[in-house]
Amino acid sequence: MGLFDKFEKTATLYNGLEAAGRNPFTVVMEEVLGPTRAKIRGRETVLAGTHNYLGQTFEPSAIEAGRKALAEDGTGTTGSRFANGTFSGHKALEEDIAAYLGLEHCVVFSTGYVANLGAIAGLVNPAEDVVLIDADCHACIYDGCQLAGAQTIRFRHNDPESLDKRLARVPAETKGKLVCIEGMYSMYGDIAPVKEFVEVAHKHGAYLLVDEAHSFGIYGENGRGVSEADGVMDQIDFYSGTFSKALASIGGFVASRHREVDYLRFGSRPYKFTASPSPASIATAGAALENIAGDASIRARLWDNANRIHAAFTQLGFRIPAPSAPVISILFDSEEAAFNAWNFLLEQGLYVNMAIPPGTPGKESLLRLAVSSAHTNDDIDRIVTAYHALASSLQQAPIASAE
Amino acid sequence: MAGDGSSIQEDDDLVFRKICSLLDPLNEKGVKLTRATDLVADLEIDSVTVLDVVMDIEDCYDISIPVNTISETRAIGELVDAIHQIKKEQA
Ligand SMILES: Cc1ncc(COP(=O)(O)O)c(C=O)c1O
Repeated sequence: MGLFDKFEKTATLYNGLEAAGRNPFTVVMEEVLGPTRAKIRGRETVLAGTHNYLGQTFEPSAIEAGRKALAEDGTGTTGSRFANGTFSGHKALEEDIAAYLGLEHCVVFSTGYVANLGAIAGLVNPAEDVVLIDADCHACIYDGCQLAGAQTIRFRHNDPESLDKRLARVPAETKGKLVCIEGMYSMYGDIAPVKEFVEVAHKHGAYLLVDEAHSFGIYGENGRGVSEADGVMDQIDFYSGTFSKALASIGGFVASRHREVDYLRFGSRPYKFTASPSPASIATAGAALENIAGDASIRARLWDNANRIHAAFTQLGFRIPAPSAPVISILFDSEEAAFNAWNFLLEQGLYVNMAIPPGTPGKESLLRLAVSSAHTNDDIDRIVTAYHALASSLQQAPIASAE
Repeated sequence: MAGDGSSIQEDDDLVFRKICSLLDPLNEKGVKLTRATDLVADLEIDSVTVLDVVMDIEDCYDISIPVNTISETRAIGELVDAIHQIKKEQA
């Protein structure tokens, strides 16, 4: 009683989706057939809704490294980074990430979510500091602010002027100011004007944290992220990332040019009170990093695929909210329309993600497609064919008004 | 004029009316807006939308209203009071 009442509305919604045929939130990959294919509901499906941007999930060198780590270091660390869960592999990977990014210091956490919690809650003291976050930041940045218990102020998405105004209003007695943005935002695939944010933040004596979860390995000449593409790698203060997307493993990190980031090792509860990534996770992340750092053609293939799909969708007349990027979304007039379109595509053998309010920018309902460098010509043909069929069906019987 | 009861009352009305004008387009059920109206329970506005409305208020009055303050605010009247409090502090 009581305790469960709050779930009633959502449960009704989800049960309704289930009854209507297909619930986007209970998809099971029954059998994984490769980096871009899996069996879903008994049928071979093209995956265009995972974050395997650089196609590293079946990279032979990563699988070999993972096997070796399993055999030599065991299945799990059974402890936290702070206590008994730091192996030489964790330290080596920190050095490798720091070297790749050209930032001197790096701290590895259990996931990207935990890394952002750890950075924000570890750095910010609620009694004297303030955090300013982009309105469209990921849940883990909001949660980090909550865990910190600090005064948190939102500014308008990708709007340095909106940040400027809010920083100007911060009371003079406030000690530390931390600004949080992302590199590429995962709902629309739009990117932040990082350089302008650096200028505004530093003008007011604030530190800038950039979460490059979706842009690490992808943007910039060396794949270091949107911060590199914008020419400000050496100016941002904190760089957070994850192993769960371009590196196809699990874990996260915070890198910085400030050596004080090491203070998180004793000053951050999310570093101290959860188990560290398993040796195999660390080893596969390291191998994937070596792979993507040494081979720019992987990144180039991703961009090539993204540009092809973006051009095709544009030609089909979909509403696309951002220029070509590894995430390509199309917008719908209603939640129902997006849900119907999602089902339509799955029936065509294509898996993408559906996103509906309140978790979406501007309360839009959308389908988001995540491109992979491992998408083959055949995959791309199937993607474009499925969206073509969707466009035709929308023209004949506008999905927005379908039951 | 600080300390002048009637001008605070007037200011209160202005802030209240400003908030109502921002909430109007979201008031799908046509609920009558009073200081006691609960944003979530009565208007069924989700928490992100409340934050977006607050951002409009911030830009209108040139103040910053922390997310933490908003999560403790449920009724329109409480929001009006919070704005007065912050306007005083940030003046
Ligand atoms: C912007 C952003 N930050 C952090 C994360 C969390 O990463 P992880 O999956 O490693 O917890 C995600 C992924 O969902 C994300 O989109």
